[in-house]
Amino acid sequence: MTTVQPVILGEMPSLSKLYVNAAAQAARRRVLGSHDGSDLPEASHEVRGVTPDVGNLTAFQHLIGETASDVLPAGFIHALAFPLAISVMNRDDFPLPLLGMIHLSNHVEQRSPVLFSERLDITARVENLRGHRSGTQLDVVAEVRVTGSPRIRWRGVSTYLAKGVFLPGIDKPSPVASRSDFKVPDPTALWQLGVDTGRAYAAVSGDFNPIHLSVLSAKALGMRRSIAHGMYLASRALADVGAVKGDSFSWHVDFEAPVFLPGRVALDISTVQLPGGTWQKSEFVAWNPRSGRRHFAGAVAAL
Amino acid sequence: MSVEGQSVTGPQESSTPVATAAVPTPRRAVVVGGNRIPFARSGGAYTKSSNQDMLTAALDGLIARFGLQEERIGEVAAGAVLKHSRDFNLTREAVLGSALSAETPAYDLQQACATGLETVLGLANKIKLGQIDSAIAGGVDSASDAPIAVSEGLRQVLLDLNRAKTLPQRLQVLSRLRPKDLSPDAPNTGEPRTGLSMGEHQALTTAQWNVSREAQDQLAFASHRNLAAAYDAGFFDDLMTPYRGLTRDSNLRADTTLEKLATLKPVFGKSLGAEATMTAGNSTPLTDGASTVLLAAEEWADAHDLPKLAAVVDGEAAAVDFVHGKDGLLMAPAFAVPRLLARNGLTLADFDFYEIHEAFAGTVLSTLAAWEDEEFGRTRLGLDGAFGTIDRTKLNVNGSSLAAGHPFAATGGRIVASLAKMLHAKGSVDGRPARGLVSICAAGGQGVVAILEAL
Repeated sequence: MTTVQPVILGEMPSLSKLYVNAAAQAARRRVLGSHDGSDLPEASHEVRGVTPDVGNLTAFQHLIGETASDVLPAGFIHALAFPLAISVMNRDDFPLPLLGMIHLSNHVEQRSPVLFSERLDITARVENLRGHRSGTQLDVVAEVRVTGSPRIRWRGVSTYLAKGVFLPGIDKPSPVASRSDFKVPDPTALWQLGVDTGRAYAAVSGDFNPIHLSVLSAKALGMRRSIAHGMYLASRALADVGAVKGDSFSWHVDFEAPVFLPGRVALDISTVQLPGGTWQKSEFVAWNPRSGRRHFAGAVAAL
Repeated sequence: MSVEGQSVTGPQESSTPVATAAVPTPRRAVVVGGNRIPFARSGGAYTKSSNQDMLTAALDGLIARFGLQEERIGEVAAGAVLKHSRDFNLTREAVLGSALSAETPAYDLQQACATGLETVLGLANKIKLGQIDSAIAGGVDSASDAPIAVSEGLRQVLLDLNRAKTLPQRLQVLSRLRPKDLSPDAPNTGEPRTGLSMGEHQALTTAQWNVSREAQDQLAFASHRNLAAAYDAGFFDDLMTPYRGLTRDSNLRADTTLEKLATLKPVFGKSLGAEATMTAGNSTPLTDGASTVLLAAEEWADAHDLPKLAAVVDGEAAAVDFVHGKDGLLMAPAFAVPRLLARNGLTLADFDFYEIHEAFAGTVLSTLAAWEDEEFGRTRLGLDGAFGTIDRTKLNVNGSSLAAGHPFAATGGRIVASLAKMLHAKGSVDGRPARGLVSICAAGGQGVVAILEAL
């Protein structure tokens, strides 16, 4: 494989411009015919010397239930790298439509803590284009280093699905066995999510995707009501796991049924210990307390 | 999954015989008496009374009963769970408004529903150490006159407005106000880390320990029956001062029956897998009220020619990891009592009165079930088997919170004053002083328990 030089951007791209550009691109493709490539762009995008805004950090921490410490929550770093990840999927040589992509799962390795005072180099690239029973999926990989250091502090892999898009040469996987029946456990927490939950997370994460902002803007994109950001829910679950996770951990979440706003979410966190009593991982699962439908599930584990 | 327990003499407990022997036996702290105002259901007789009003009323009744006008008391400690920020010196303000000497110092304490008992233990310790000779412990709460905060949005705007220096800056700050910022924030009984209300938490515990609806209703019925009988016998005549027209706790239903309790619909635990069993009848209602307890060194009580009802022997606090469901929110006393008894060389059967605060009938019954459970005793308490059983005829014999109501911080004072009186009346049993156990659970997964002994 030839090594492609990273594209170094002068500053973190603006998400709102990327969304506008994606809409324009979608219209263009509709007129000119869809993109005919089946390969992902090899180039990665990079921004150097990123410094988080401390006011924004505090607001993020308070919103998701973390204590406002000087360490960046793993979900905050995801939000920090998110515009760069979107910029890769916004490239002209990216074969899938960005708008309407569904966030299927997220896997983060927080290898060592990142302080708000540190300058960060962030890279993002896409890989692993593959079939899905209802479309095409791929991984967006983001990595965060402290400027000048080769060591990765934070690494996130987000898996997205372009629903209903089937590219030539990519096989649909055989249908997976039907989802095992979910037996609702006793909740350890109950979240009351107001109708403004999406707007509040948009304000601290910068992700102003219209499906999260209001009933009207969500309906414009074909949703019945606005839905909570997946990473807001996952970040709250991570905060709920608490200090037991320590400085370095992995954090995995699979998203299932979306959480419509306003709404209530029941959560169960169960701790798995090693024989000596040492914390090994905390598994979490969230569901709709009325219907019993599973919203998301995952785990935070020692690295 | 292995769950480590809270062994009765865990590694954190340095209660080795050597260390104990090195500590000189301190002098006694005794309960002289107590006074409370009748408890009122929220929205009732005390709707417009503030915490300070009610605490002062209870305090003035105590002062009148024991002739403490112009007396400089060693220290007064009290607290409230639902507290206005302006009440940062609630207890000192109540002292200043009372007939006590204005030179009586006071401090506020807050440990959720354990506030009242913790003021008793803290002040008793000061007396035992010789730092003070007399003290008044107490607590008050008003669910009617509860503090209401402005919304977080409005609060941030007001704070930033205060910091803004120029007119344009002020206008810029004001422009952030949104209509929804004008709706207030009322306090709720939800646990901050889980979002579950205390009742929902207890519903999980009640189901976990298989406590039946019938058993809960039976406990609630006994509470009303016992409290009504205590009133009829004049038990509260020297423990209470009427206030705002009330002479009895307004939650008391002397004529309630098991049949009536059985007709009530469940209010907690309705979305759980198990059957919902917790009703408004076997859960405590929101209540307003205040209580006080006069504590003293024996010499002080003698010098003032005051009674000595009971000694405050010892106390213990415990907490459980409830956040992810390892234990129930209100189960901390299940761990605190075994530790306290081990330290004092006692078993659960060595008591003549058990005062287990009825936050919910399910709380009392879950705690008793845990103590009777072999597995819990072995794996969680580190004992050879079950911790023990109690003689139910000695439980909450003059009624408890299900009948009296539960103004959070006032419950400890209610129980300590009543128990001290009961112990004093009982005198000695089998040649030893009568003994009473107090157990109070609290929000945040905490619990405080204590031993009192007749004098």
